[in-house]
Amino acid sequence: MMFQTSSGRDCAHAWEAMPWVLQGSATPEQGESLMSHLVHCEACRAEFAQQSRLQLAMSLPSDIPLDANVGLKHLLGRLDAPAPLEAPFRPRTASRLTRALAAVVLIQVIGIGALGTKLWSEGSLPHYRTLSESSQPAIPGSIRVVPDATMKLADWDALLHALGLQVVGGPNDVGAYTVVPRSTTPTQQHVLQQLRATSGIRLAEPVAATP
Amino acid sequence: MNDADTDADATDRMLLQRMSMGDRTALAVLYRGYHGRLCRFLSRLTRRPDVIEEVINDCFWIAWQKADNFHGDSRVSTWIMGIAYRCGLKALRQHGDEPVADDTLAQDRGPAHDPGEDRELRDWLGKGLGCLSVDQRVVIELVYGVGHSLDEVAAIMQCPVGTVKARLFHARVKLRNVLPSLAGDSPVRKENAP
Repeated sequence: MMFQTSSGRDCAHAWEAMPWVLQGSATPEQGESLMSHLVHCEACRAEFAQQSRLQLAMSLPSDIPLDANVGLKHLLGRLDAPAPLEAPFRPRTASRLTRALAAVVLIQVIGIGALGTKLWSEGSLPHYRTLSESSQPAIPGSIRVVPDATMKLADWDALLHALGLQVVGGPNDVGAYTVVPRSTTPTQQHVLQQLRATSGIRLAEPVAATP
Repeated sequence: MNDADTDADATDRMLLQRMSMGDRTALAVLYRGYHGRLCRFLSRLTRRPDVIEEVINDCFWIAWQKADNFHGDSRVSTWIMGIAYRCGLKALRQHGDEPVADDTLAQDRGPAHDPGEDRELRDWLGKGLGCLSVDQRVVIELVYGVGHSLDEVAAIMQCPVGTVKARLFHARVKLRNVLPSLAGDSPVRKENAP
């Protein structure tokens, strides 16, 4: 509220009190204060006159013609109706929303169920490999060999031939080959000893012994 | 609340008690006693007579069903007006908000028993209320028309008293700016009006 007169506070109090003074619910002090203010404040006097007119207009009977007896007859008929119409203006928005949410949840449940069934039917083997697992099932007697970088290909071939080995994997990122014996005649332990005794071999160990 | 209000409330409570025991005569007395003020109150929400009658009957249907639940925390009139307000809002959601229009007012106005002075007053009021929101019209009706206190209006509208004060304040400012010009005067105060 903005009052630009010097008696702004009195005008504010007057403005506040007007409806209740008109109602007759204001305290006698409020009424006297308002009346004494109106004597010397033209703006509030005009406002109070307008408020009085507003109250007079608001107290006029309804201009919409409605017969109370007709309405009462309808009401009594409704009370006698066998099935009471509970909440006749019940909004349908809430029920529609509930149904829509239930439908969404149902679709999600069906989708999750179908996905679970599909995954279960594909077997229990996971489609991933942990770091501790070998990439392939180890062939019995497999040996991991790391030849020296300076070893000549001819020497490497001659060594494999002499020990009866063949390369089945590698080289990997660190230059390791996986070799297996061509026949089961020499024992893995013997082959390992031979490999480790060779000068151009940096490492030889059985694949099964991978930590 | 003055003596007349106290007596009226005591009568309403007695009628409500009889209603709770299935007394339809008490229902009829209460219905006729409130029909006029409910009709005028609801006419601030909608101009459709069929909707107004429907809302009044919904209100009294609920009052009939819930009469034994009235514990006297408020005046009976506050309780009934609250029910009517909520039923009216539901009706608005169903039938759509129809603001008070002066042409509709002119059509609805009773032609025979409406003196010229009243007609002029209704016209003046109708144009002013047409500038207000539904909630502001309801507050103006409850304070100036029915004579409820701020606390009672808050109970009827189920909102804080501060909200009622704000609605009343803004409604009065709008009416203050609009009504003098409608009455033929030039509006002296505009935005700064209290």
